[in-house]
Amino acid sequence: MDWSLIKKSIMTGRETKMGNILKIALRNLFRYKRRTLLTASLIAIGVILVVVFGGIANSFKNKVIGILTNSNLADIQIHKKGYISSIDNLPLDLTISGEGINKIENLLKENEQIKAFSKRFRFGSAISNFVQTTNIRLTAVYPEMESQTCPDLPKRIKNSKNEPSNFVRRGELIVPINLAQGLDLKVGSDVVLVANNKDGSVNGITLRVSGISENILGPTGKDGYLHLDDARTLLRIPTSQNEVTEIAIKLNNFDKLDYVYNQLKSELMKFKTQSGKPMYEISTWKELSPFASIVRIIDLLIIVVKIVLIFIVLVSILNVMIMSVYERVSEIGTIASIGTPPGKILSLFLVEGFSLGLISSIVGSLLGIAILFLFSIIKLNFTFGRMELALSPEIQLSEVIFTSLIVIIISVVSSLQPAIKASKLEPVDALRHV
Amino acid sequence: MSLVKLKNVKKIYQVGEVKVSALKDINLNINKGKFISFIGPSGSGKTTLLNLIGCLDKPTNGEIFINDVKVNQLGRKESAKFRGDNIGFIFQNFNLLPVLTVFENVEYPLIMVHSVPKTERKKRVLTLLEKVGMLDQKDKYPNQLSGGQKQRVAVARALVTNPKIVLADEPTANLDHKTAYRVIKTMHIMKNELGTTFIFATHDPKVVGEVETIYTLEDGLVVDKKIHNDRKGN
Repeated sequence: MDWSLIKKSIMTGRETKMGNILKIALRNLFRYKRRTLLTASLIAIGVILVVVFGGIANSFKNKVIGILTNSNLADIQIHKKGYISSIDNLPLDLTISGEGINKIENLLKENEQIKAFSKRFRFGSAISNFVQTTNIRLTAVYPEMESQTCPDLPKRIKNSKNEPSNFVRRGELIVPINLAQGLDLKVGSDVVLVANNKDGSVNGITLRVSGISENILGPTGKDGYLHLDDARTLLRIPTSQNEVTEIAIKLNNFDKLDYVYNQLKSELMKFKTQSGKPMYEISTWKELSPFASIVRIIDLLIIVVKIVLIFIVLVSILNVMIMSVYERVSEIGTIASIGTPPGKILSLFLVEGFSLGLISSIVGSLLGIAILFLFSIIKLNFTFGRMELALSPEIQLSEVIFTSLIVIIISVVSSLQPAIKASKLEPVDALRHV
Repeated sequence: MSLVKLKNVKKIYQVGEVKVSALKDINLNINKGKFISFIGPSGSGKTTLLNLIGCLDKPTNGEIFINDVKVNQLGRKESAKFRGDNIGFIFQNFNLLPVLTVFENVEYPLIMVHSVPKTERKKRVLTLLEKVGMLDQKDKYPNQLSGGQKQRVAVARALVTNPKIVLADEPTANLDHKTAYRVIKTMHIMKNELGTTFIFATHDPKVVGEVETIYTLEDGLVVDKKIHNDRKGN
């Protein structure tokens, strides 16, 4: 017996049946053109809404996250345990020092996922222009390390004549724009920084303003910058005493944030104090910026829009399919009486709902992508806080496919009840229906 | 040997709180290759009897055998398969699928009920359409056809699976005299060529004048049976 021939015959039969079911389903859809067009338009508009809203919202989210992580927060930060809970006070006694820095540096250098890292010392100080005095939050950095970790930071510094990789040299200070305006500081102005070190003694140094930095959202968005060696001088930390308040980390691939975070966390947990408690803490940008809450709200809104879409599809398709079954009871009776199995009658209506969902989602997705493309050409400019944003919305293909899949699945699910009803109709009753 | 055998068949409908006896103790034997008709006034039980023979409905009591299969015990799926394999239907209102062409309507049972290969399908459909005189209309949709043309397509659809029985409920009710006569003639020719048993439920004297056996029903009972042996070869 030639099994391959039998198998081929069965497969061909199945394909023919499915092709015929699809043909009948599509023709039935186009039989009621106006109703199909209205329903398909409604679903397509829902898909457009999801694609366009998702594209703009995600673009805004990614843009702001990009600014935050590339300008000052970096992707991940490591601190001495307890530092984050008292970050508002900028404590000088919760520092990573000596052996700890070396071990962490080795850990980071060995990790292929890490592009760059920067040692920082954050502290509060008084700043004087010899006429007025006010407070300033300062981040002391090695510019070459910082510019690799936060590549957009030098771009935020205006009027600077320094190279981006050496944006703050020894003897120089970058002041935030608000403070520069308040103290009437310009590039070239001399200022005095006066700060307490961790023992409580006071020291002061004179620095020259070499740039004015634009403010951005977040806790470090209004910090001034100086060279780490100048900070050591000011705070009387011996050069031999390698000491920082944080280590900021830039990843090769931002999408692997959680993976690298977990990887580093498990490594850092191996460092214990004498009492056996963890010595360091590790945080992603999400734990360091209030924008993370806005991101959660944006994600929630996208979910809400998707839920609205689900309801639009559910109600529209259910309505169309119920009408369709009701109008075609006699036809169902005919096909049932000539021997069409209940399963195939079920398939006929499911495929009809599926086709309506598929066509609507394809049209909606294409129009949504076209609208996003148009937006990306004309650019959407607006101000968020003090940040100027030029959005060029885009959406990932996977997101469009996911939205289309939701529509198709809901279309099939909402066709299920009418389709089951059709398949369970008694032919004799259906044939009597006028 | 009987192709259709009904033993003590009763059918009672529950209409609200009232029980209506549509068929009362029907006993029948119909042999293969016959051209027969149930006649009688409205409400006599003709359509109910046709529905029971067509496995579209179940009797309240009694047994129905078709081709030696006790069909009153078949489930929904088995009934559907049995109908697809053994019975063809012709309806008063033609009941063609409006979204399919003439060719596709006739082809439908060969795809959806049987899995006949494409070349065989095409051959069978075209042969039948030629026999019923509808070959030149094969690409038209039902709404482009006259009543007589639709019924001839329905005859072709009923016969395309080579069923043992074709059941026709008032097949000429919506046709004019000339067209009705042509449709009956077509069915008669098909019966002679293919040996298919045709069973009608009708009032139409044109149909009655063509059949070999006439069963008269009144109030759910067969009250008369007339055999016209002279009509076999027509």
